[in-house]
Amino acid sequence: MESTIVELKKLSKIYQQGELEVKAVDDVSLTIKKGDFAALCGPSGSGKTSILNLIGGLDSPTLGDVFLDDIELGSLTHSELAEVRKNRIGFVFQAYNLIPVMTAYENAAFVLDLQGIEKNEIHDRVMQTLADVGLEGLEHRRPDEMSGGQQQRVAIARAIVTHPAIVLADEPTANVDSHTAEALLDLMQNLNQQHGITFLFSTHDQHVIDRARRIIRMQDGKVTADECRV
Amino acid sequence: MNLNTLAWRNLWRHKRRTLITASSIAFGVLLAVTFTGAGDYFYTRMIDAGANMGMGHITLAAPDFNRAPSSKKFLRQADQLQQQLAQIDEVKISMARIQGQAMFASAHKSTGGMFFAIDPEQENAESNLFIKAMIEGEIPTSAADKTIILGVDLARRLKLTMGKKVVYTTTDKHGDIVSAIARVGGLFQTGSNEIDGAVALLPLHTVQNVLGYKQDEVSVIAVILHDQRHSYQLRDSMQKMDSFSHIEVLNWQQTQPDLAGMIAVDKSSNYISQLLIALLVAAGILNTLLMSVLERKREFGVMMALGMSPRSLFVLVMLESFWLAVLGLLIGTIVTIPWYLFMSQTGIDLSAAYGDGFSFGGVLLDTVFKIRLFKESVIAILVGLFSLALLAGAYPAWQAGRTPPVESLKTL
Repeated sequence: MESTIVELKKLSKIYQQGELEVKAVDDVSLTIKKGDFAALCGPSGSGKTSILNLIGGLDSPTLGDVFLDDIELGSLTHSELAEVRKNRIGFVFQAYNLIPVMTAYENAAFVLDLQGIEKNEIHDRVMQTLADVGLEGLEHRRPDEMSGGQQQRVAIARAIVTHPAIVLADEPTANVDSHTAEALLDLMQNLNQQHGITFLFSTHDQHVIDRARRIIRMQDGKVTADECRV
Repeated sequence: MNLNTLAWRNLWRHKRRTLITASSIAFGVLLAVTFTGAGDYFYTRMIDAGANMGMGHITLAAPDFNRAPSSKKFLRQADQLQQQLAQIDEVKISMARIQGQAMFASAHKSTGGMFFAIDPEQENAESNLFIKAMIEGEIPTSAADKTIILGVDLARRLKLTMGKKVVYTTTDKHGDIVSAIARVGGLFQTGSNEIDGAVALLPLHTVQNVLGYKQDEVSVIAVILHDQRHSYQLRDSMQKMDSFSHIEVLNWQQTQPDLAGMIAVDKSSNYISQLLIALLVAAGILNTLLMSVLERKREFGVMMALGMSPRSLFVLVMLESFWLAVLGLLIGTIVTIPWYLFMSQTGIDLSAAYGDGFSFGGVLLDTVFKIRLFKESVIAILVGLFSLALLAGAYPAWQAGRTPPVESLKTL
């Protein structure tokens, strides 16, 4: 039986907009197992990104609990949350969000540097990971010298090089064409199947939904369906 | 990648903006060097000129002489005191002098003034401004000479020319009125009407005889230092020495309070000007870094999302401020060196505006505008501007890590 990476218990997130209270996440309970290739899907405003932010420790819940690798995130300080993000979570953003003055190598190595890993080990891991994502030979290119697809591959490399417990990908294919999106999904699926990396997507993209083995549908902050595909 | 490298690269994202800001720091260096250098040069010149005119950088005098000068107050054993002074490293030269008020009378007129009785063997053009300013005749060949050196305006007022007799009347050590005759042996012209119309030089031993002083009795011993900046602490240390405990040891601020006051006022306004310049430079740095931080809000959010701490972001932006300061100071140094060399060696002639000379606080100065920096001033300028640049970076650096990542990531 696969171990639980993420557990959400009666999770709610309420935003105050003036006098109006907006329930971005409404009493959500679910678990993500190791090796899942799951997608949170639903219309805009359904709470997908908010769930990712809560799991990623970027935001704090109004009610309920978030457990990541059995660590209750709500009890942690900002510094402790930063440590959790650094060591256990990989992020892939819609807009790639690479650091423009760093090369592909340096971007991929960024979190390993923060972790204080020894330089030789960083080199070996980054070079292997860049090869795994199909960017061998492009280590010295800066983001403005790469295509959108290549940049997103660097972002994926950055997310997985630390061997995180989970990779949270927020609309990772939104800024690329369909051909590139398919190639990226092939890559991520490969990483999931061959290396057992857990992926949780937030997405509108049907291509992603079609590839996911587990689909969690959301509407108005609630989980309306949670289906596993064989 | 270490934060230093990242900070340096971040500076060059916007080359033009970085260079403009660095140039403003460089301009700050140039202005600071000019203002401070002008102060260092002119204040030193004023103080040295004042010292050479009469009382020295340090003055040894009988108790209360400075407050209320009188022929009745005089130093004894001047030779011994000068021997003690010769052993002090900071002392360049010491000159025994008698000074006082006198009436000067010729066949045509009489007028009041001041005299300095000097020993020609102890004094020269370098140590005595009046000797340097001589335009006719010679200084007395010995201290027992019977000649007098007059300011040109004093001579003109008395209708005296070279070789003519003048009677000077003063009070002796007992308070009695005494007179003596001297022949005009020389004229000096400092360019200051106040000085040229009221001052005369006389031979020391001659005046000692007139006033009833012994050979080793004088009004003051004027001490010229290698560096006038040591006068304050030297005065304090000398006053504690047994050799000088029975007399007054005064520094130039005490003997020339008008000059000291005017320099203090001028220094204050100089500091205020420099502070305003520094604030303008700091505002430029603050603006540049703050804009840079606000532009990178999303990027900082990503970095924090990936696990970078707000403290590290603070350090990153502070390092950008550091490198910006280094760049500015480097450019500033390169630009300022030729300017400094020109201004310290050649200067700018302002005689068209000021004539041949002007007096400040009773001291005569030449009209060539020069600058000169003491080592301490150089360090103060560099450290001051550098610290200011870092300080200006502190608020943007604090801002960098302040916004929660989830808010930063929302920024388009």
